[in-house]
This record gives sequence, C-alpha cells and structure tokens, in this order.
Amino acid sequence: QEATAQFRMGVGRKIDNTIKLDYGNPKEYEIAEIDVQGIETLNKSALLSLTGLKVGDKVRIPGDDISNAIRKLWKHGIIGDVSILVNKLEDGQAFLTLELKERPRLTRFEFQGISKSQSKELGEKIKLIRGRVLTDAIVKNAELSIRDFYVDKGHLNVDVKTKQIEDTLVTSGVRLIFDVTKNNKVRIDKINVFGAEAIDDQTVKRKMKKTNENLRFKLPNRLASDLISLGKPENMKYFLTHQEGDGGSSVKDYLNENVKLNFFKSTKFIRTEYEEDLDKVITYYNSRGYRDAQIMEDSVYASGKDRINVDLHIEEGQKYYFRDVEWVGNFVYTDEIMNKILGVKKGDVYDMELINKKLNFNPNGPDVYGQYMDNGYLAFRCEPVEVKVEGDSIDVEMRIVEGAQFTINKVRLTGNDRTNDHVVYRELRTVPGDKFSRDMIIRTQRELSQLGYFDAETINPVPLPNMAAETVDIEWGVQERPSDQISLSGGWGGSFGFVGTVGLTFNNFSVKNIFDKSTYRPLPSGDGQKLSLNIQANGVQYQSYAIGFTEPWLGGRKPTSLNVSFNHSVQRIFPFNDFSFTNQIGFLKMWGASIGLGKRLTWPDDWFTISYALSMQTYEMENYTYSRLGFDTGTSTNFSFITTLSRNSVDNPMYPRTGSLVSTRLAMTPPYSLFNNKDYDNIDNEEKYRFVEFYKVNFDLKNYVQIWGDLVLETKAHFGHMGSYTNQVGVGPFERFEMGGSGLSGGNFMLGTDIVALRGYQDRSLIPYNPEEQIQGGTTFVKYTAELRYPLSLNPSATIYVHTFAEAGNNFNEVSSFDPFDVKRSAGVGARIFMPAFGLIGIDWGYGFDPTPTQPAGGPSGSQFHFTIGQQIR
Amino acid sequence: CATEYRKAQKSTDNEYKYQVAMDLYQREKWYKANNLFEQIMPAMRGTEEAEDMQFKYAYGCYNQKQYTMSSHYFKTFYQTYSRSEKAEEAMYMSAYSLVKDSPREELDQSSTTEAISALQSFLNKYPNSEYAPEGNRIIGELQEKLATKAYLIAKQYYLLRKWKAAMVTFENFRKDFPDSKYNEELAFLRLESSHTLATQSTYQKKEDRFSETIEIYQKFIEKYPESTYLKSAEKLYGDSLNQLEKIAKNKNS
Repeated sequence: QEATAQFRMGVGRKIDNTIKLDYGNPKEYEIAEIDVQGIETLNKSALLSLTGLKVGDKVRIPGDDISNAIRKLWKHGIIGDVSILVNKLEDGQAFLTLELKERPRLTRFEFQGISKSQSKELGEKIKLIRGRVLTDAIVKNAELSIRDFYVDKGHLNVDVKTKQIEDTLVTSGVRLIFDVTKNNKVRIDKINVFGAEAIDDQTVKRKMKKTNENLRFKLPNRLASDLISLGKPENMKYFLTHQEGDGGSSVKDYLNENVKLNFFKSTKFIRTEYEEDLDKVITYYNSRGYRDAQIMEDSVYASGKDRINVDLHIEEGQKYYFRDVEWVGNFVYTDEIMNKILGVKKGDVYDMELINKKLNFNPNGPDVYGQYMDNGYLAFRCEPVEVKVEGDSIDVEMRIVEGAQFTINKVRLTGNDRTNDHVVYRELRTVPGDKFSRDMIIRTQRELSQLGYFDAETINPVPLPNMAAETVDIEWGVQERPSDQISLSGGWGGSFGFVGTVGLTFNNFSVKNIFDKSTYRPLPSGDGQKLSLNIQANGVQYQSYAIGFTEPWLGGRKPTSLNVSFNHSVQRIFPFNDFSFTNQIGFLKMWGASIGLGKRLTWPDDWFTISYALSMQTYEMENYTYSRLGFDTGTSTNFSFITTLSRNSVDNPMYPRTGSLVSTRLAMTPPYSLFNNKDYDNIDNEEKYRFVEFYKVNFDLKNYVQIWGDLVLETKAHFGHMGSYTNQVGVGPFERFEMGGSGLSGGNFMLGTDIVALRGYQDRSLIPYNPEEQIQGGTTFVKYTAELRYPLSLNPSATIYVHTFAEAGNNFNEVSSFDPFDVKRSAGVGARIFMPAFGLIGIDWGYGFDPTPTQPAGGPSGSQFHFTIGQQIR
Repeated sequence: CATEYRKAQKSTDNEYKYQVAMDLYQREKWYKANNLFEQIMPAMRGTEEAEDMQFKYAYGCYNQKQYTMSSHYFKTFYQTYSRSEKAEEAMYMSAYSLVKDSPREELDQSSTTEAISALQSFLNKYPNSEYAPEGNRIIGELQEKLATKAYLIAKQYYLLRKWKAAMVTFENFRKDFPDSKYNEELAFLRLESSHTLATQSTYQKKEDRFSETIEIYQKFIEKYPESTYLKSAEKLYGDSLNQLEKIAKNKNS
C-alpha cells in the first residue's frame, strides 16, 4: 500500500493568505521559481528533472501538471512525502515550493531462523526493492507475506519479528532483519462429520482431497483397555444381555475411530485448500441427487499441541430425480439427437454436474457443445434451466441459442522465433474458408505438440470471432523450446574395452539456410528437417560413423517424408597389445546406405502412415576370425526392401495418456535362390552368404489408458519372425533376434542384429543357439509388457515419471519350437527423465523369475539393473 | 584495467564504481560498464548522474545487441526524463532497437509491428526530427516485410492445393496490403485457384463455382488490363464458359 502524496495548496505556514485558488476556474501560469525544501542526500536539480517541471514552463493551477509532477516523483520510491506549495501568484507567474521529506531507504534485508533455500524463495516472494524508501506499510506487508508463506506450509503458529537496523554504509540507509520462528506444523487430528446419513462419514472425508486426518493406529491400546473394562462384572453383564442391532456398522465405526492409515496424504491444515474441499463435498452431494445439500456450520479448533480438529455439520436435504428434459431453440439438430448425446432418462438421479459435463466437454464421448462447435456454430449457447420442481422430481429445460455458422477467415501464428511459418502452417487443420471446428483445433494442438519444436503445455489457440461477418480468426500462440539433442556416453563393449559414443540430433534443421549465417542457432534452423550424427569409437580398433537426414515434407506439397542415411564402421584385429596400423591382422568393414519415403494415409483413417525403404549393407572381411559365418575372408551384401504400415494416435510423445500405436513391418531381400541356379546343398558359406536372403516380419502394439488422473497404464505386445524363401537356403546368421536387458545395442557391433529388450535379464542373455547349424540368434520372438506410470513432473524442460512393470518374452531359434506361452517372466520398477537437450534417460530394476539358457545352474535370473538412453521401440 | 574492474565490483564506494564504469564505457567495454551501472543504479536514483547513467546503460545494452533490453531502457529514459535534451534520441533509439530485433519474415513478427508503431509515435511527436527521413524509410521497409510474410503464407495454401483457403487468403492479402507488388500475381493465382476448385467440385457445385470464376476474371482484367498473365487468364475464362454451357445443356435436356 502506498501512502498518498499530498497536494496542498494555499495551506501552510509560510503561505501568503491572500492567495485564493479558484478550483472552478483554473488559470495558466508561468513557473517563475521552484524552491526545494527538506532534502538531505538527494540532489535538487535531479529531483526537479524527475518531476518534469521547469522554470519557464506554463502550467495550469490548479491542474493536472502539478499532480502529475507529484505522481512522477512518487513513482521512483525515493522520497517519503511530497507536497507542492504555491507561494505566490503574481502577473501570471507562479512561485512554487517543493516540500519533501526524505525517509530511510532499504539497503539490505535478511532472514533469521530459516533455511537458506527458503530465504531465497521468500526473498523473491516478499517483493522488497532495495533502494526504495521504507514505510511501515511496506514492512507490514513483507511480514504478512512471510506469514502466509508458512501458513500455506502448515505452520499455523508462525511468528515473525522485524528488526530495523541503521546501515552505516549508506546515509539514511536501513537494514531489515526478519526473525522467523516457524514453530511446529499444525496437523489435523480428527474430522468429525455430523448430519451425514445418506452418505457415510468416510465417503465425505474421502471427498476432501487435501484436508486429511492424521495417521493414527490406536487399535491395540483400545482393544486392551476395552478388554480390561469388559472384565468388570457390570460391563460383562451388559455385554451378555445386550445384542447390538447393527453389528456391521458398529465394527466399521469402531475401526474408523481407532485406525487411520493415511501414509501418503498431507494432514496439514491449509485454509484455501480446506475451503475448496468443502466445495468438493457439496459437489459430491449434488452429484448424488442431493441438490440442496449444504454445510451449515464448520469449526476448526485446537485439540492439543500442534493438533486441531475440524467439525462439519451437514444438512443433506432431499434426494431429487430427473423428470422431463426438454430442448428449446434447436433447429439444426432434432431433440432425438440431442437426447442421445445427453443420455439422461426420466427417473435418473438428479445430477447437474453430469449434465454440464455432457454439455460442455465429455472426454469419453460426444457432447452437446461439440455437436455444434465442430460444425461452425461458434456462438452456440445452451443453458440448462430447472423449470419445475415437484416433490422429488425436477423438469429441466435446455435453452439453446444456435447462432450463426462461422467460417474461418484468417489464421495467424505468434511466438515462432526459430521455426519458419511454412513448417507450422502445413500442419494446421484450421484452414481459411473452412467451417470452424473445435475438434480440429484440439487435434491441431495435439499434432503441433508432436512436432517437438514447441512447449506442448503452452500451445494456445485463440478464436477471435467477428460477429457481424460471421467469420472467425484463429490465432495460434506457441512457445519454442530447444529441440536439439546431444548424447555422450561411454561403456564397456565386449572385447573392445571402453567405447565412447557422441550423438547429435538437430530436429529443426534447414538445408536451405546453410549459407545464411543469421539462422545459425547453433546450426541453420527453422525448416523442420532432421539431421543426426553419431560417432562411436574406442581408438583404432573400432570406429563407427552414421549420418541421417529427414525432410518431413518432400517438395512442401504433401507430408511425404524423405529419409537418407549412411553408415560406415570398421573393426580391426591386432596382435596382442599392439595397435599399430601396419601390424593389423584382419578387419571387418561395413558400409550401409538407405533411402526411404513415408506417407500419411487418409484411409482407413488419417492416423495411418506407410513407409518404404531401400537399404543396403555390405560386410567386407579379411581374416576376420570372429565372423561366425564359416568363412573369414570375403564379402556379404544384405540388400533389402522394407515396408512399414503403422497407425499412431498417441496423444503426447513425452508422456502419453491415451491413444495407441500399431505397426507392422515387412523386410524382404530379393529371392536370389529362385533364379541363380546354385546348388545350396553343396556350397561353401562364402558363396552362400554373398547375397543374404531372408524375409522378416515385425508386429508391434502399444496402448495407453488413463487409469486415474495422470496415472497411466501402458500395455505392449511385440512379435517378430524371420524365415527363408526356400528350405535349402535356410535362415542365415544375419538380422536375427537377440533378447534381454535394456535393449541398447552397446557391446554388439557385429552382424546386423535385431535387439529386443527384456528387463530382469542380462543384456542379450536370451540368444538361442543351434549346434547343428552353429548359428546363434532367434528367428522368432514374442514379448508382452504392462507398465503403470505416474509422472513426478510434467514440466517440458524435465519430464520425469516413475513406473512399475511386468514383462514376459522369449526368443526361439526355430519357428517350430515357437510357443507364445513359453515365456521368461519378470517384474520391477524404474524411472525415466526426459530433458530436451539429452533425450530420454532411464533406469530400471527388474527381477527375472525364470532361468536363462546361459545360466547352467537353472535358477532364476534374479535382480538386474538396466540403464537406457532414448525411446525404445520394443 | 581488468583488475580495476574487479576492484570496483567489490568496492562499496559508489562514487568509485561510477568513475570506473564511466571509464569502461568510454573504452567501449559495454558489458563491464553495464555490470557496474546495474550495481549502483538503485542507490543513485534521484542524483544528478542518474540521468546520464541511464542513457549510457541503454546504449550499453544496444551495443551488446540486447535489443529488447535496450528498447526497454531507452523507453524508460524518455518517459522518466521527458524534458531531457536526449529524450528525442532515446525515443528514436527505443524504436530503432525494435527494428534491429525484427527477425526474418518467416518468423513471428511481433517486434516488427511493435517497431512500426513505435516509429510512428516517434514521427508524430517529432515530425521535424533529424531522424524522421530514416524513420519513414524504415517503416516502409518493415511494411514490405510484413507483406512478404503474408504473401508466403498465402502462397503456401496454393502450394498445398487448398484452393478454398488460398482464395480466402489471397483476398485478405489484397485488403491488408492494397499497394503491394504481389497483388497482380496473387489476383491471377486466385483466378486459377477458383477455376481448379470448380473443376474438381461435385456436379451440384460446379455451376456456382464456375460463375464465381467468371466474376473473378472480370475483376481481374478490369484491374490489370495489361497483365503478363492475361493469356493464361483468358484461357481459364474460356474454359469456364464452356463448362457452364455444358451444364446448361445438360439441364435443358
């Protein structure tokens, strides 16, 4: 609160009494002189310049100029009191005196009796500005803010004392010390509910989400004392002769009286939350047909040291039912359609909340507003009115104003500081010339968030209707967030020792702007292209390079994505402990390239995408003794064509709550054996694997269901199978499935393999072996997962969630031994953190219940920790 | 000098800090000077030096390319010291900082529109300022930039083959930027979009849409009688007439 500045005129000590100011008739005067009085440390001319008044200026007296001058001075907060006096008015000239009072200024403030982090938090909260004049009101306000801060944390008895100390460093400076005594938190001992009959006390208390009773477990004590008192003859007699009528409920009451297991609930008393909770109780009553329910009285009183009790007196009133629901004013849609959407029948329990939900926004089905809003009726209004109450029956009239059908006129975009317009506009489903549709807005919002360039929680569509023209402009407000990722990791990779990895992903790259330095942040950005680089090495022995590029809208006309990638890696074999190039004994070099096209489909529905890719991978070996191929010098080439069909309706990429993902993938190599006339029964492996031949099918399913609030259940099922076109060729060693562990490829740098995670088992521990063919790896696998997730933070700069999971899966060497129920089971817990700069990082602990083939003892796999980077598909 | 800066940073003597800051400012060490200014500004409010210091602080931000900040501090300056002889310069610099902050046309142009209105208020207040000619020229440039942005967005609907959307957006462009050099091209593209939309329509809608195409064509040749697109436009006109004739025949038979 500001003390008000005074504007005194013609009042005062030194003033000539003959001055008469005519307030009804202000006159213009020229300022002849401004005298400043009462300043000690401040500078006269500087203060005058702050007022905006100057000798020679023409001002109206009385008038705005003078009061503005006072206001301007006051705004700077450096003086305690200001008045402007008119000394003399003569020949159209005014002689003014600026009377000021300097007050001490705040130089510093500190807290005592509280922790450093809370001091910091409070320092920002109490809004004291250093250098400003200190008034009693400012000190009082600061004290109040400190009090509120602790009361909100449950310290109802907090005590704040303020000391003002002169600061010797600065003239007329003052230091403030807030001495805070927090005292103990006050907790709620008991909540007593009176008058609740139709709904029992426990339910009422449960509806109070944030106001809870303290933990109590007095059962043993109470039982003991009851037993002792029962032992007395008169009580025994009473017990034996009296039969309790309502045995069941008295046991419940008895338990309730003595046991409260609120382990995870807050039992602090916070006034604002308490009041919200009272509303929740009434809302609950209303939803059960008790439309008149109210809380007649509530009291909060101390029940002991740091303990309070809450008494609620509820008047429930009568239970009501719906009778007739009538629609008025609907011309576009019939009563029948509207009734179907509303779904309220005669005789249903009266529940206005349900009506409102079905009216405004129903997450589980159609709603009345949606029916109109998705078809352009932006000005649609519907008001439910109780028209008649008779006994326990209520007639409701739904009064509708349909309004005009609005057409979208302009679509604007604000907040894109990095991403170019065209990258966003091509995704918008709100298109000029179309009818306004709420559904399209919601869907666009979801799709924009999936681009990953914008903060999903702040994407804000604002419809700006023009009532006269019956058009609506839509303004999309977005906030950019960093979308580039860097990953650095190191790990032990089999025989290679330490292998370091550097990965960079630029999700908003722009090839076009490579020569435009101004777009560099730190690389050319804004066109929504993706560039990723990955380097892995442990020195000369093993190196791997990969680069990939994606243009999501090839040609800018249709959402057809183009994807190009190259990779190269080399492994060298050296004599023991001698890593010079000239001494290398053998090597494996791999080259790979792939090109792919992805298209969004509109049929069967527009959640579908299909993609095609051509991929080539060659393996060149020389004296490569670890090849497992049956030859160690030669070349193999894997040339395949991959088709993927998938449907994705997941609502949010970071923390999905609803939606599902279904994907099928088919990879095929050309069927060389059908036309090359080779005798595959009598052929050496080098010839056999010159061109690799197989087909491979993958099927993946993910589904998300919101259980309660942000608690989400993810269910997944995965299946993969690979086979050969003809029996003579057989399934070679390439591209086989390896299962177990985190699913990271670390440690496996050899022949292209398909790695599937299975938590609770060691990395790649489920790899069947066929001694006859001497080939490792599965040709068929299956895996099922159920995972229950709960978010700790949905902040886009760090999304964190914890989960508990149960998994089962197995990997089979031959399709003949495949059995979808012969699986290795596991369960465990884990956490994931997503940060825009690092991607998804996670840790899991799992317990495997079954033995693995590599454990000869055959006991359970047992306790395993897994560390993961990035989103795993399987 | 680096040590002097460090010493000043730790000193509690405001006068000393001020001297060092001024010295750093003279030697164009904007970052260090501003750091010291920040420290002493609250304490020096209401003193003689405060005015000059605030002005220099704003320039310090400007020279460090912190244009949002400099715009804000120049603005605070001319609002606080509205009678200072530097108020005019400050007001211009506040607007000019926003101009500097205006990004390429494919990004959000909030600072561009802000810059235009700030320059306009400057010109209203100081119509005879020495900065006025440059201010006028910059306003023209910025408006051109906004037009280019709108042009690119409108054209994208055409590229995406959203004919209806393209027509609505082309028409809005003509209203928003009546003097733009893009108008002729967009007027033709509107005609073309209209024709394509009519051609791809269901039979029931064809008649209305081809009639609309003809109306659009008539307006087009009235406005651009010597357009480079004239030949192509005439062709579309001819085809639309043929289509309408066919529809009329079908109706009669």
